[in-house]
Amino acid sequence: MAFYENTIIAKQDLAEKDLKNIKDKYNEIINSSSGKVIKIEEWGLLNLANKIKNYKKGFYIHYKFEGNKKTLDEMDKKIKVDGTIIRNLIVKYKKLDTENEFFKKEK
Amino acid sequence: MKRKNKKFQKRSSNSLNKLSLFQKNDGKFSRKCPLSIKNAPVVDYKNIDLLKRYVSDNGKIMSSKITSVSQNKQKKLTREIKRAKILGLL
Repeated sequence: MAFYENTIIAKQDLAEKDLKNIKDKYNEIINSSSGKVIKIEEWGLLNLANKIKNYKKGFYIHYKFEGNKKTLDEMDKKIKVDGTIIRNLIVKYKKLDTENEFFKKEK
Repeated sequence: MKRKNKKFQKRSSNSLNKLSLFQKNDGKFSRKCPLSIKNAPVVDYKNIDLLKRYVSDNGKIMSSKITSVSQNKQKKLTREIKRAKILGLL
């Protein structure tokens, strides 16, 4: 088992219900395929530095989880088919720091 | 022992004072790496404020000659900057 981080960019023109569905969907996918979600972060609506598939803004969701090859394969399959996701990035880590949040909303 | 220490101090304090023309003048351009000191900021693709400092206006990665980042940290920087570019953060 190793630690991973997965960041998903969803389309900007989605209702709040859909966003929640997406969030829960990938939470379930990880948990059901011999993985374990440690933390979920929502970075909110951010401006993209350059256009991606003709979108200027995107909704970022960030997962920190523990898993193996099976979980990654399952995730990749689901993300490829999913039309609401513009882009994603999976990074492997030896250690996860769950304390620092770089995209915390300041109010 | 005391004498030795004194000599060493004198030399280090005045590094531009050269004995010959071909001697390298150390100390003028050498700066320590800002990312390998104690309590240095984390080099990570989520830490955009840090990464922005090492990218030019056109989005190019700055060379370590200018920024005086050590070799090891420069490798990490390039990797993290490229990751941030994939996600559209930079």
